[in-house]
Amino acid sequence: MNESGPNVTAMVVFIGFITLSLFITWWAAKKTRSAGEFYTAGGKITGFQNGLALAGDFMSAATFLGLTGLAFIGGTDGMLFTVGVTVSWAFILFAFSDRMRNLGQFTFADVVAYRLHPEKLRTLAAVGTLTVALPYLIAQMVGAGSLVEALFDIPYIAAVMIVGTLMTVYVVFGGMLATTWVQVTKAVLLLCGGTALLVLVLAQFGYSLDALFSRAAEVHSKGEGIFRPGGLYNDPISVVSLALAFVCGTAGLPHVLMRFFTVPDATEARRSIGYAVVIIGYFQAAIILIGFGAIAVLTGQEEYVSESGHIAGGANMVSIHLSRAVGGEVFFGLIAAVAFATILAVVAGILLSAAAGVAHDFYARVVRKGDISDQDEVSVTRWATIVIGATAIVLSVFFRDVNVGVLSAIALAIAASVNFPAIFLVLFWKDLTTRGAIAGGVSGLVVVLVLVTLSPTIWVDVLGYEEAIFPYAYPTLFSVTTAFVVTIAVSLMDHSERAKIDRSAYPQQIVRSELGVDL
Amino acid sequence: MRDGATIFEDPAFQAMLKKRSRLRWGFSISLIGAYIGYGIIGLQIPDAYATSFFGSSMPWGMALGFILIGSSIVMSVLYVRIINRLEADNDFVTRHRE
Repeated sequence: MNESGPNVTAMVVFIGFITLSLFITWWAAKKTRSAGEFYTAGGKITGFQNGLALAGDFMSAATFLGLTGLAFIGGTDGMLFTVGVTVSWAFILFAFSDRMRNLGQFTFADVVAYRLHPEKLRTLAAVGTLTVALPYLIAQMVGAGSLVEALFDIPYIAAVMIVGTLMTVYVVFGGMLATTWVQVTKAVLLLCGGTALLVLVLAQFGYSLDALFSRAAEVHSKGEGIFRPGGLYNDPISVVSLALAFVCGTAGLPHVLMRFFTVPDATEARRSIGYAVVIIGYFQAAIILIGFGAIAVLTGQEEYVSESGHIAGGANMVSIHLSRAVGGEVFFGLIAAVAFATILAVVAGILLSAAAGVAHDFYARVVRKGDISDQDEVSVTRWATIVIGATAIVLSVFFRDVNVGVLSAIALAIAASVNFPAIFLVLFWKDLTTRGAIAGGVSGLVVVLVLVTLSPTIWVDVLGYEEAIFPYAYPTLFSVTTAFVVTIAVSLMDHSERAKIDRSAYPQQIVRSELGVDL
Repeated sequence: MRDGATIFEDPAFQAMLKKRSRLRWGFSISLIGAYIGYGIIGLQIPDAYATSFFGSSMPWGMALGFILIGSSIVMSVLYVRIINRLEADNDFVTRHRE
């Protein structure tokens, strides 16, 4: 798509970002010695910094590139996503922030293992972490590879290797401190880039939203129909499933939950998620306007969108095309580089959470039963990071043609069906037992995998059958319900000795989770 | 120092717990309820969402979406403030954090 060779601005901004991020890593490496420093930057991140990093974790390529594309195709239906994202973060603040921070130390497994059987719950949490992190990681890396290939004329495999190597370097040497500051830098870049794009789009319409919307309705093939919901989702089950995927899924993402522990106390945790809601809300609102701006500006420009509505390079390229159309080559290069920096920062956070799941939750706490020195745990985590990073690179090359959106949706569904029910019930339901939590987590995972396989996205699009056995694109309504019902039923029927311990520790846990002190 | 179980039984602790739960679930349920309602109503009467929002060319469906995003932000800021004040004013919390 780039006849004149690689874009110079994109190259300069991008190399600048890599240099800065490696400098951050070098600085962070000197301060990262103990396991606590490695996993949570010693709990010394401030609320505002952490808020930016949390927002950065979520403003991935999937939201910036994917949601703009979705608004471009689906009009008002895209709104269901952007609102869902913001609402889910507010819910995390209300329901989870205090109690999670007060109970946990490094990962969300600390919270679910507080009063339940530690080894069993940590094993479940490690499975829940890896099954979410790997598909998410691969989805982002495949997206990054295709983006870089299109923008810089670098072969796909080389692009994936660059992303994979950089994320591994950040995490291995700089741990959470480097990951956080790379994420903060990128969040600021993305917020500035997105705002500049929005201002440039509005400038095309004399800064009048009215003019922008009128123009969008005028040129779109559906006309006023783009304002009418129902194009993408036309049944209540899909809408509720989608809502649940956002609300429960986001609250079950290991790399997001891990950020609760990077701040000193519950007050700062609350504040940081408060900042995250404000930043994410602003960005989601901007994305919808950018999406409609793209309809108004790009429709009819043959080099970007063909007459039949086909977008050059796919729907994910909408914001990139738009930046070139309204800001010229230099601005286009800037946005492209920011999009790539976005992916780089997000994958580092996911990789760190996956390594912590394997090394801290599974190896240090289950295999060694906590009998491990701080230094050994850090070095095990570093090796786990290298192995997972290398695995992600190989899988991303192998799964090059996978649908990135489907893969992220599966990761979110697993987070909602395996991690979320366990966390939610351990925090708020006194009768939860170890047996119930394990049965619920396993059944949630099985239901997601079975339903996704039988759904149109795999059964019809990948396996090539005529008709899907499970007619809905999102399994979350069914899988989350199953996980909750199984967890509750098994817990209520559980009369084992362990169940007595699980239940009797609830008051202790509540006091600790509300007051934040060990008694 | 008292242990967790006796603090849990303490009426002052229970009162604080109740206040916080009311805030937590009141905010969560109203916001998520509004969001699911927003999606379902859009399906039932899509034409209403396509009509103009008070004469502007922004449609109702989008205006409501922006209002929901705005409400999430306002409620989050409120929640952080209310809980912070609640904790600062509650000597039960401050006493036990010593």
